[in-house]
Amino acid sequence: MTAMLSPAPTAPAPRRPARRPLARALLSDWFVLWLSLAYFVVLLPFLPTLGTPANLVNLLSNAWPLLVVALGQTFVMTIGGIDLSQGAVIGLTSTVAAALIATAGAPEVLSKAPIWGLLIGETGGVLAGRIWFGILAMLIAGALVGLVNGALVAWLEMPPFMVTLVSLITVSAFAIWLTQSENIRNLPDGFVALGKGEIVSVYFGPKDTSQIPRRQVHDLVTYAAIIAVALAVALHWLLERTAFGRQVTAVGANRKASEIAGVPVRRVIVLVFVLSALCATVGSILYSARLEAGRPTLGEGTFLLDVIGATVIGGTSLFGGKGKVIWTVFGVMFFVLLSNTLNLMNLSTFHIDMVKGGVILAAALLDVARTRLLRSMA
Amino acid sequence: MTPLLRFEGLGKDWFGVPAVRDLSLDIPEGQVIGVIGENGAGKSTLMNMIGGIVPPTHGRMLWRGQPYAPQGAADAKAAGIAFIHQELNLFTNLSVAENLFIDGFPRRPGLLRGLIDRRAMRDRAARILARLALDIPPDRTLDSLSPGERQLVEIARALHRDAALIIFDEPTTSLTHRETERLFQAIEGLRAEGRTVIYISHILQDVRRLADRVAVLRDGRLVGEGTIAEFDIPRMIRTMIGRDLAAVYPPRTSVPREVPVLEVQGLSAPGVIENVSFTVREGEILGLFGLMGSGRSETARILMGLDPAERGEARLRGQPLTGGPRDRVRQGLAFVTENRREEGLMMDASIRDNLTLPAIERFRGGLGLDRDRIADVAQDLRETVRLKAQDLGRQPVRALSGGNQQKVVIGKWLPTEPRLFILDEPTRGVDVGARSEIYGIADRLAAEGAGLLVISSELDELMGLCDRIVVMSRGEVVATFDRRDFEERRIIAAAFREATSAGEAA
Amino acid sequence: MTAAVSPQGALDLATRMGAVLMLVAIVLIFGALTPGFLAPDSLANIIKQSSFIGIAAVGMVFVLLTAGIDLSVGSVMYLGPLVAGLLMRDAGVGVALGLLACVATGAVLGAINAVFIVGLRVIPFIVTLATLFLYRGFGTWLVESRQLDFPDSLRGFGLASVLGVPVPIVIFAIIAAAAHVILRHTVFGRHVYAFGNDPLAAQKAGLPVRRIQAGVYVISGTLAALSGFVLISQIGRLDAGFGEGREFDVIAAAVLGGASLFGGIGGAGSAVLGAITIQAVKAGLVFSGVNLYLQPLLQGAVILVAVFLDGLREARLRSLRRRVIRPRAG
Repeated sequence: MTAMLSPAPTAPAPRRPARRPLARALLSDWFVLWLSLAYFVVLLPFLPTLGTPANLVNLLSNAWPLLVVALGQTFVMTIGGIDLSQGAVIGLTSTVAAALIATAGAPEVLSKAPIWGLLIGETGGVLAGRIWFGILAMLIAGALVGLVNGALVAWLEMPPFMVTLVSLITVSAFAIWLTQSENIRNLPDGFVALGKGEIVSVYFGPKDTSQIPRRQVHDLVTYAAIIAVALAVALHWLLERTAFGRQVTAVGANRKASEIAGVPVRRVIVLVFVLSALCATVGSILYSARLEAGRPTLGEGTFLLDVIGATVIGGTSLFGGKGKVIWTVFGVMFFVLLSNTLNLMNLSTFHIDMVKGGVILAAALLDVARTRLLRSMA
Repeated sequence: MTPLLRFEGLGKDWFGVPAVRDLSLDIPEGQVIGVIGENGAGKSTLMNMIGGIVPPTHGRMLWRGQPYAPQGAADAKAAGIAFIHQELNLFTNLSVAENLFIDGFPRRPGLLRGLIDRRAMRDRAARILARLALDIPPDRTLDSLSPGERQLVEIARALHRDAALIIFDEPTTSLTHRETERLFQAIEGLRAEGRTVIYISHILQDVRRLADRVAVLRDGRLVGEGTIAEFDIPRMIRTMIGRDLAAVYPPRTSVPREVPVLEVQGLSAPGVIENVSFTVREGEILGLFGLMGSGRSETARILMGLDPAERGEARLRGQPLTGGPRDRVRQGLAFVTENRREEGLMMDASIRDNLTLPAIERFRGGLGLDRDRIADVAQDLRETVRLKAQDLGRQPVRALSGGNQQKVVIGKWLPTEPRLFILDEPTRGVDVGARSEIYGIADRLAAEGAGLLVISSELDELMGLCDRIVVMSRGEVVATFDRRDFEERRIIAAAFREATSAGEAA
Repeated sequence: MTAAVSPQGALDLATRMGAVLMLVAIVLIFGALTPGFLAPDSLANIIKQSSFIGIAAVGMVFVLLTAGIDLSVGSVMYLGPLVAGLLMRDAGVGVALGLLACVATGAVLGAINAVFIVGLRVIPFIVTLATLFLYRGFGTWLVESRQLDFPDSLRGFGLASVLGVPVPIVIFAIIAAAAHVILRHTVFGRHVYAFGNDPLAAQKAGLPVRRIQAGVYVISGTLAALSGFVLISQIGRLDAGFGEGREFDVIAAAVLGGASLFGGIGGAGSAVLGAITIQAVKAGLVFSGVNLYLQPLLQGAVILVAVFLDGLREARLRSLRRRVIRPRAG
């Protein structure tokens, strides 16, 4: 009964203005960019290789495919969902495309696969060399997975993480079964070129020799870069400047209110999951081209961590209603920089996984903190 | 003799808007106190202060003569105060007995004291249920009980705790006649045991029958208090309403036309509404009045396509309303829900995003959304609904006052050019100044030819605003009044009546 | 008074019976396809092997009852025995102390999850997704991703039997029975159900909601570590990939057995039933010589069906929960 005898509580004191600068920094669109730059500058003296042109170009080339995939995740998180199946979609579409368009099949590797003789034989896939059909098939396969995910979430109101967890298991199992866990090589040159694309190359160094050694030329603008940037611009436009984009944000902010306001909530949810799977498919094109093979296990393991981590650290809220393409761009930069520095420190993969796991936790905490801050400032 | 509970100059401000002010009142021990007042009169805030949910901003409470400042529900419980809310705090996957003892299971003696003593629990539960003359087996899971039975289980839960003060908040809305009677006997039994009861209800007959004393709240103040003998029902109503209506309600500036906008014919949903029929004409403001749980809001939700109807139909300008909310919004419906935080607004989104959501597809421009037009429309809306806001594009709706939030909820529908507005409790949690403005908006909408269906549990609001009032009770339409026949006592009498037939339905 | 079984009760019963029917059907189908499947030895083996997933699934049921999720169980299965193994190998600790260390590690890992979920209010699946990688990364770092061989005394324990019943089954039975008693007959257990049914009402009723929620993650961690120990004690060796992806099996087992992802429904029996079903499917697929790579696909399909049915049940429940304001006719 002690509580009863305590003095009557007074009204809560207004928030201290001293917290405002920190709060504003945390809530700023550019926060993660500043964070990345600060991280870069601090580590530069300790890791001299970090700033070399070769490493910077390497950083960028790692960032593009991840950005493509994370853009799709950004949309899903903006409606308050999550898509764990993106990695499986990457594996599936990589396998499907390779099986269709490979210009030759290796019987000693693939003859046990159920697709052998059906989609692919010794003379290659049924669409051997026809790259655009292959890409179309990838997009269709990816969209189908997204459609199933979205339909289950929208109509049965199943939790998105459970739905996409199940499709992660089944889709990746299916992809592995297709080739009996083997890679499909012999991709057409045109497809492999998508992973390179020396459109603009730069040379850093003295201009004293007429022959520039091959190794010192760095691909700055690649097909991957163009595709990723174009997709980012297009999706930024879709999210910020179209009715659909505003409806995506609305569904995440308040599903019930959106429904009453005439937003086609279920259609939006389905489309967002399709979009997410399509982004994963585009990512799959870039990864497969770089690998010069179709691999059913392409998006497995900690890839999921990279995508979710990059998206959440960028500032897109796990609770929905708040997401921006630019945040994800910065988030991806931070994540790629983080992986890169950890690699340069000669840490083992399991160390890196640990740090990434920790970063996801930190990002989730940051999200909780941001949400509270925003509420308290309102 | 010291009263059980005493309020001394108690007050509570919400962002500067007083919900309860300067309230001083004694709750004597062993009596039933009826607390009445319109919605928004401050009853729930007062109860939340007693329950430790909301700290008062002024004054203090004394419990048995000692200062009482609960920090949370647990303090109120420890002091010996029990609440029975309208919405139940029960667990449908547990048995009746488990629900009764959820916060204090009887344990086995000795070594096995980690385990629940199921037999003791069952026996004690049976005894408590017997006191309420409830013949429910204690082992039944709750989901197999009727709503009324569940309510009685909730009451039983308060009983076994031996609370000194039991507060009932609208307990009878989902009860049948027989169940209500059983509840009243239980309350009388409590009084006979020397317990104190605070009984909040809109059903004035019930208050007359049960209470020893009556306290009347209006606009957060105590405006009347005395023994039940001093308060007959007409005086209760007079005291509850007694306000200068003319100042709040602007005069209607238009007359309804003869063209029907909305025609509802025999709308039924089992367990919710039965054979509901009415018509809203162009330029008409039709009031839908009823007590809590009379089916008013449920009718609105069915009209909006949020809940299914089993029989009957609704036509908007001759076209049958079908499909979900999206289809109906396109057909020309607009719905201002009673629950603006959960169903009306995106609290953390900007005012502009909220204002332009329903009509967002109309703002398509050459390449994506026409953002200049969106900004212009939002600006227009701000003036149309007299929104007091600084920056439409940046300020989140959460930062607005209740009245301005409600203006956003109304304003966001205007760009969709609706033919019929459904306003469910449009002035709940809105201060008097903003209320008047909201009534003004309603009048202008009607003058422009829209039909308005206004749902409210505040009769004076409907009387000040509406051309006609349809009264619902227990899910049925029981009466319709034209403006010239508006008379509080007759309308309230209609709402209180146990409905047996569709009555004088339009 | 409304009579007989409620809609929810009937549905609940249907899902529970559905789980039993599914198990029976699976056993019969595989039995018809491959005669060896129904041999007593083979059936006994299924139950023995199901103990691994089953013990962890019992813990998962606690978590699911609160409408939470624990994705970190696969890594806890790895890290728990690993700590025990290091102690047994380097400090010469006996099997009993090793078991204790393993279980204690699991409890600590579960408590770490609980701190983030209950204390810092981060969504369970994000927390446990992150710790899934954290815990495994920490484990592989401890042993530099080499495999760890256990002393023979451990295998002596794992392959022993009590009155003819193999030790894994004995442990599984004890855990399942204890969980049943806790869930049905203790205050904590009933509070778990109440919390899962309506967290807000639980808070208003003054239940110790934080303790309830934290408790289930500690239990889940503890049992995941124990399940890892039980399997390792049969194998005698711990690979870096041990337990990887097992969280799916564990969740699937609980849901297959009738525990709902939406909280409040399920019991210790769900874990037992679900784990045996999953194991029967696996054994049956092996018996009938289905392509190795096709097996996870079929298992995934079984999980999909279970999750789908759970979703249907929840949708039905939601529509039944709609407010009723007048007595229904009749």
